[in-house]
Amino acid sequence: MPGESLIVEARGSDLLAVKFTAMAGPCEVLMPSMSPPAALAFGAVAAQEAWRIEKKFSRYRDDSVTAWIHRNRGTPIQVDEETAALMDFASQCFELSEGLFDITSGVLGRVWRFDGSDRIPEAAAVDELLPLIGFGKLEWNSPRLLLPEAMELDFGGIGKEYAVDRAYELLAARSSISFLVNFGGDLRANRPPAQGPWQVGIERPDTEKEPSLLLDLERGALATSGDSRRYLLRDGVRYGHILHPGTGWPVLGAPRSVTVAASSCTEAGLLSTIALLRGSGAQAFLDEQGVRYWILQ
Amino acid sequence: MQLKPRVPLTQQAPARRRLMAASCALLSAGAARSEQTAPVDSGLLEDWSVDSALAYYHEEGRIQAIEPVVDVAKVFADGQALNFNVTFDALSGASPNGALPSRNPQTFSSPSGKLKHQYTTAPGQLPVDPDYEDDRIAVSGNWTVPFTRLDQVTVGAKLSAEDDFFSVTVNASIAHDFNEKNTTLSFGIDNEYDSIHPIGGAPVPGSDYAPAEKQTGGKTKDGTGLLLGVTQVMTRNWLSEFNVSVDRFTGYLNDPYKFISIINGAGGTTGYEYESRPDQRTRKSAYWENRVAWSSRISTASSLRYMTDDWGVRSDTAQLHLRWSLSNRDRYIEPTVRWYRQAAADFFTPFVLTTQKPTDESSDSRLAAFHAMTYGVKYAQKLPGLGSRPESEVSIRAEYYQQTLDVRTAVPQALQGLDLYPGVKAVLVQIGWRF
Repeated sequence: MPGESLIVEARGSDLLAVKFTAMAGPCEVLMPSMSPPAALAFGAVAAQEAWRIEKKFSRYRDDSVTAWIHRNRGTPIQVDEETAALMDFASQCFELSEGLFDITSGVLGRVWRFDGSDRIPEAAAVDELLPLIGFGKLEWNSPRLLLPEAMELDFGGIGKEYAVDRAYELLAARSSISFLVNFGGDLRANRPPAQGPWQVGIERPDTEKEPSLLLDLERGALATSGDSRRYLLRDGVRYGHILHPGTGWPVLGAPRSVTVAASSCTEAGLLSTIALLRGSGAQAFLDEQGVRYWILQ
Repeated sequence: MQLKPRVPLTQQAPARRRLMAASCALLSAGAARSEQTAPVDSGLLEDWSVDSALAYYHEEGRIQAIEPVVDVAKVFADGQALNFNVTFDALSGASPNGALPSRNPQTFSSPSGKLKHQYTTAPGQLPVDPDYEDDRIAVSGNWTVPFTRLDQVTVGAKLSAEDDFFSVTVNASIAHDFNEKNTTLSFGIDNEYDSIHPIGGAPVPGSDYAPAEKQTGGKTKDGTGLLLGVTQVMTRNWLSEFNVSVDRFTGYLNDPYKFISIINGAGGTTGYEYESRPDQRTRKSAYWENRVAWSSRISTASSLRYMTDDWGVRSDTAQLHLRWSLSNRDRYIEPTVRWYRQAAADFFTPFVLTTQKPTDESSDSRLAAFHAMTYGVKYAQKLPGLGSRPESEVSIRAEYYQQTLDVRTAVPQALQGLDLYPGVKAVLVQIGWRF
């Protein structure tokens, strides 16, 4: 896999970051200063778990579980325990989001390419895909799965947050030091380091580098959904990359990004994703959940 | 076709409560799974980190050296680490031969360097062999294995080869973390085996230079070193390291190309004789280093070293590095200053009188009393990484070194007024690239 290297970097005077690349983005584990070999050994636990999950569930690898499920369309198969747990979770998310969160909606990627251009697909092309979308069309009776012909599964909407939580659990089991796991902006911390809360910057949508929002995080998880760089623009209308699984078209009025704080990263990630899928109703949805959130319009 | 009944979402049950339950179920399933099965993917990391540098060293009127260094390191997912270092030195220029300046021209026939040659030193000048040349290549490797969460073992080896010298060193160390990893105790041992094949043969120690009484065949020297160290996190901004070491070398410890002027009472040079050092040397040293981060921008590393040996050499070193991160933190400047003072070996003598016949003798300035200052500055710039690497760094370092000899030996009247003990002035420029 690409990027399988770890780098230790000082963060200010008393923190170390072990950095690596996974799931197409920069990842890091922050911890108090210690000897570089000890830091690497600690960070490697998180990296290994991130790479394991990426390899196992990637849509882009022939040897992934996802690819194996796709090869067995139309055939009843039995998935492993971890995949089954993720399927159960996806099923529950589908229900509680009233169908908005749907791991079968990845097929829309065949016609939508959010590359900043004005290439809006033909309405007919989108409509052709709609019959292939709907978690309810799967036969899922854990651990047995039947994926109908031409349908696709995409664990990408859960995978990164799940990886953060998994890495968190492994690190917490290994040591009692304070640490923060950050996989591409989705993060979770066990407790603040000696000098005060973790400082977390949330990316501003229009400029990629400058964090527009600096949050103090003591413990718990933060997840951000929304990607300002992925959109289409035609006739002055901006089509964000959040696609409604029912219509196959971008959700209107969705914020550029939504950040949610919760006790686990998986939970925070799903809340922020569902909020985005609610479009202009994002804020009302989050208010209803009683969570701390930050919306960038 | 979904087999599970769908539960309608009620207004009274916010999504969050159900999501929390679902997340807990997912993560506890994962935790249970990871207890059952060993990690699936303990694969090797493919990428190596590379630290490379090219240094140019120049001593005023003496030698110059070009030294490329490549250091590669790889850390495995389970915390094991491998690193390899290759250093090449190409030295050339003029090297002091140990003789004293004289009022008269002095002619030497030298086997040092790659060819045998003759050279003449002008009156009043320090005799140096002008055609000194040597190439050195050194290769080393270290393998670190964490065998518990708190203990790690490192084993390594180093090979060094020159035209007339070959050296093998093996080393092993163990480090133990305790006190919540705030304290690291380490113990190391190394063994060095050297084989020396002086060009033109090894001179008999103390023998006359002119008849060139040489022994054929190689010489050897062996060394053993022990190190005991403790590293302590004092506060979150302060790291302290203290170690003591002892090493002992036995065998042929002479510099086969260095000899000593024999001076008569009138200050005239009547001849030369090869140096003669004891055949064993035991050194003890203590080292204390403190790294302090004063602010997010400024940190220092300061160290003191004391060394003493049974040849009578004692030295003190004090060093201060200051790292100053510039505005955007991807650049830093690191000024360095180092002070060194050394007391001479008991048998150091700049010359021998015709009336003397010491058992041990050397005029090698490295065994003389001297003090030295080094001033340096490094500038580094971080750049975007190559490929999947998060970043790279280019740096340039410049150092100026000035050595002043503190030899107090009384000299015959005729030699007074000559610059008998010129020191060394040297510059070093190094460019580095880490990626």
